[in-house]
Amino acid sequence: MHKRIIGFVTLVLLAAGASQALGQEQTERYIPIGQSPGISGIYAYLGAITGVDQSARTVTVQDEQGNARTIRIPDDARIWLDRSAQKETNLTGSFADLQVGRTIEVKYKDRERREEADWVKVAVVAGG
Amino acid sequence: MKRGHFVQLLAVNSALPLIILTLSACPPAPPSPPDPVLEGERLFFNETFAGNGRTCGTCHRAEDNFGLTPAFIAMLPPDDALFVAETNPDLANNFENPTLMRAFGLILENQDGFDDLANNFNMRGIPHTLALRTSVNSAQGPQTGWSGDGAPGDGSLRSFTTGAVIQHFTLTTNRIPGIDFRLPTDDELDAIEAFMLSVGRQEDLTLPLALKGVIASRGQEIFLDNTLGKCNACHANAGANGDPAIFGPTAGNLNFNTGVEDLPDQPADLTGEPNPPDDGQGTPGNGAFNTPPLVEAADTGPFFHNNSVETIEGAVAFYNGDAFNNSPAGQLIAGATGSGINLDATQVVAVAAFLRVVNALENIREAIALLDASPPASSERRTTLLARARAEADDAIFVLRGGGLHPEAVTHLTASRDLIDQVLSRYSASRIREAIEAQERARNELVTTN
Repeated sequence: MHKRIIGFVTLVLLAAGASQALGQEQTERYIPIGQSPGISGIYAYLGAITGVDQSARTVTVQDEQGNARTIRIPDDARIWLDRSAQKETNLTGSFADLQVGRTIEVKYKDRERREEADWVKVAVVAGG
Repeated sequence: MKRGHFVQLLAVNSALPLIILTLSACPPAPPSPPDPVLEGERLFFNETFAGNGRTCGTCHRAEDNFGLTPAFIAMLPPDDALFVAETNPDLANNFENPTLMRAFGLILENQDGFDDLANNFNMRGIPHTLALRTSVNSAQGPQTGWSGDGAPGDGSLRSFTTGAVIQHFTLTTNRIPGIDFRLPTDDELDAIEAFMLSVGRQEDLTLPLALKGVIASRGQEIFLDNTLGKCNACHANAGANGDPAIFGPTAGNLNFNTGVEDLPDQPADLTGEPNPPDDGQGTPGNGAFNTPPLVEAADTGPFFHNNSVETIEGAVAFYNGDAFNNSPAGQLIAGATGSGINLDATQVVAVAAFLRVVNALENIREAIALLDASPPASSERRTTLLARARAEADDAIFVLRGGGLHPEAVTHLTASRDLIDQVLSRYSASRIREAIEAQERARNELVTTN
């Protein structure tokens, strides 16, 4: 019985680990900036890009109130180009698409620390 | 008349013209807000979100246990919105596979992304939406869809609707909001979530039940035995949550890689149709899929995320095979208990009999609730409730008869169904009461209740 309990404790730990990788959410790509249910305005930061540090992979974002925040964009963060304003389909983007002046929404990877991006949506202007 | 009363009456009469004037000067009272559950039900079955014509109810049919089976699909007319890939040229490619949809009830999902629609997709069955109140929450957050990660936004059941609209309701594969569909509003998401949470069982069972049938009783023992069936570890009380005694009090719903993808001779593969391997939760996936509730299993096959097993007996037998016992979950079970799962045929049938009986008990509970709610309802609403009660009676008959179980209960259930048919043709409150009593007699054949 003792062995069985130890075994099930192992089961608990491994099963919990297997469930950590939440976040498939691929349909998120098609949701325009500021409209993500349960995220926009709560666990995401929305504003204009005022600075980009390629080497550190960070962007500085200033919101409508003038508050600025620098957020790291890790390699595994998904980046989408929001072209819904032009009535065009949204695309997968890259760090190079994060350019000063563009509107951006960043969902935090960690809701408490708010330092790293889980996903990024950047508005692409016509012809941009 | 006493004087006091006369004075009061006089006072009221004197004031009456003033009251009438005041009332007529008032703006009309604002309409009371719609019941969120009823509003959610209306949206669930009628709202297309300006898309291709599908609604939530296109795939989650109330008459088919809020899922959709190949048998039900075969009865649908060719212009049903389910078949938009056959009728809308813009959706002819990379949106559905009509062959696999019609043969096996499989729906195309792009859960690993939309950049390579021709190659990056999976074919998945349609999970029922019964008992969601018991099966979504976990210590890791909400678990939605076959791999627990089906919702955009905050990953909640509420947000799941938004993802479903984008994946399944779109007019073209461009998926441009405002053109190919509209996104649900916050109020609509709230209402649809309220409706989904209201459907079916609202709480888990407490096992063991005092079952009367010897085979189902033995099946229940095997189910609960952590050295034999080992089922209860991940399906506590035949639900969708991990056993709190093993996984902790807040574990809730869990994901596991049980090796279903490694099954040989999967039906969809045998057709030769494109059917890429499904990597489960995450992108790239970790091979894990969500634990579904078992109370509702017996009448909601085919089973597993890819509809690969047709019968409940086959689904139980899966856990005896190499695909499960060599899988990460199977190896965990073997490591934890000293052996894999190895049931003989009679034990497999006993566990399945247990699942058939608890399913029938849930059918009966739901049918009685629907019948109870039908007399005070409007005529249209009553017809809806009665039709669902009839479907529940039909399902109970199906699951019991399919296992050769409780023929007396089947007789009572058949009588109840016939009575519901009579009420559907001509309303009678006494017939509804008789239908409920027949359901109760059927239940008494299955279980001893206090």
